[in-house]
Amino acid sequence: MINFEKVNKYFGDFHVLKDINLTINKGEVVVVIGPSGSGKSTLLRCINRLETISNGMLTVNNLSVADKKTDINKLRTEIGMVFQHFHLYPHKTVLENITLAPMKVLGQSEEEAKQIARKYLDKVGISEKADSYPAQLSGGQQQRVAIARGLAMNPEIMLFDEPTSALDPEMIGEVLDVMKALALEGMTMVVVTHEMGFAKEVADRIVFMDQGQILEEAIPAEFYENPKEERAQLFLSRILNH
Amino acid sequence: MDFAGAYTWVNIKFLLEGFGVTLQVAFFAIILSFFIAGAVGTVRYAKVPILSQVFAVLVETIRNLPLLLIILFTFFALPEIGISMEKIPAAIVALTIFEAAMISEIIRSGLNSIDKGQIEAGRSSGLSNFQTLRYIVLPQALRRMVPPLVSQFISLLKDTSLCVIISLPELTHHAQVIYGQNSGYLAPILLFIAFMYFAVNYTLSVISRRLEVKKFNPPGSDSVSRIFPLYS
Ligand SMILES: Nc1ncnc2c1ncn2[C@@H]1O[C@H](COP(=O)(O)OP(=O)(O)O)[C@@H](O)[C@H]1O
Ligand SMILES: [Mg+2]
Repeated sequence: MINFEKVNKYFGDFHVLKDINLTINKGEVVVVIGPSGSGKSTLLRCINRLETISNGMLTVNNLSVADKKTDINKLRTEIGMVFQHFHLYPHKTVLENITLAPMKVLGQSEEEAKQIARKYLDKVGISEKADSYPAQLSGGQQQRVAIARGLAMNPEIMLFDEPTSALDPEMIGEVLDVMKALALEGMTMVVVTHEMGFAKEVADRIVFMDQGQILEEAIPAEFYENPKEERAQLFLSRILNH
Repeated sequence: MDFAGAYTWVNIKFLLEGFGVTLQVAFFAIILSFFIAGAVGTVRYAKVPILSQVFAVLVETIRNLPLLLIILFTFFALPEIGISMEKIPAAIVALTIFEAAMISEIIRSGLNSIDKGQIEAGRSSGLSNFQTLRYIVLPQALRRMVPPLVSQFISLLKDTSLCVIISLPELTHHAQVIYGQNSGYLAPILLFIAFMYFAVNYTLSVISRRLEVKKFNPPGSDSVSRIFPLYS
């Protein structure tokens, strides 16, 4: 479903992704971890072309993401994205946040889009906030709206870039619960997160990155109990002991 | 000082006529410069190749010239290359050129002030560049632009008085005509026109502040989109 083949990415002279090879299959949940600055966000953002790759081959549903002939806006409707800082539209209500893209991109009627939006708001557990503005919600609620906004496009893939890193500890659980439910339903997910509980419970695979390279790929139990790479060991000991 | 002699009906009517021209010139210059500035500001924000560089040079040039010079140039120099205008159109053109440059900067920086994450959220959901600008960036930017825009419009209205240099029959010029006949009228007449400028500009700034207050209270309340329904 998502396939990286010898993908490299430079920011000017800076080699941020080095020879990335990675395949993510339909229905898989892949958790990406690694030290800050190792290229996790960049890797994720290449998948929906928020960043362009410098060379190599990156395909989503067998379509080349970099190819000029690929209709990127159409491809993006298949890929939902959830950001660390939510990025809800502050001038729109929760419902309007969710219905904007389905109406403008998929051409749904307002009626239909609202109905679908309510369904997903229900699913993330905040249907009562439909007419609130983002500023009136807690961080956890905002992030759940952001997830509902992504889901309303009915995507095949959901990307999460540190979705709980900006949240107060007591709100992390509510967001992870929504993500777990989504994973169990079979959504294809690529998640950058250091939440080990989440990774152990629902991830099919852990991808460990350091300095722009994928150093290790393993199933969660194996990775957390017995990391092979020295840098992965070091990294784990750091996040466990802080 | 001769207040009674200055404030005759004839004089006041003459001043009001001048004020009519002031408002007319300001009104057209505001409308024209706003639309031109909207285009220029957006092109520069979107970094449209070539065009945005051309606009950058023009804007920088105009912004660094005195408005008085632009007025003189438009009325006295343009005729030499075959473009001659009556005083009112010349005043509107000169003010529009200058204000469009100023306002385009307000618009460009307003657009730029919107968090890049907003754009990424829009683009990653499949919205085109234009749709993202139209539905996400512009409505938020407009809210932020209202105060600086209003204060620029106030400057423009005051700056119409510089058109005395081409004897545009506006408020300040008409005042000059009156006290030119009798120097005892000078202070009363200047006081009177000061009051007129003040009344209009102060009203505008109060409206602008009202908009600002509403904008933040309650969260998300939609005052600007009521004025600009297009951008809701
Ligand atoms: N737009 C950019 N321009 C230049 N350098 C960037 C840009 N975005 C990220 N980087 C750099 O690339 C490296 C990887 O960034 P990122 O993918 O955000 O890492 P991570 O998400 O793992 O913390 C960092 O050193 C960062 O400073
Ligand atoms: Mg990151």
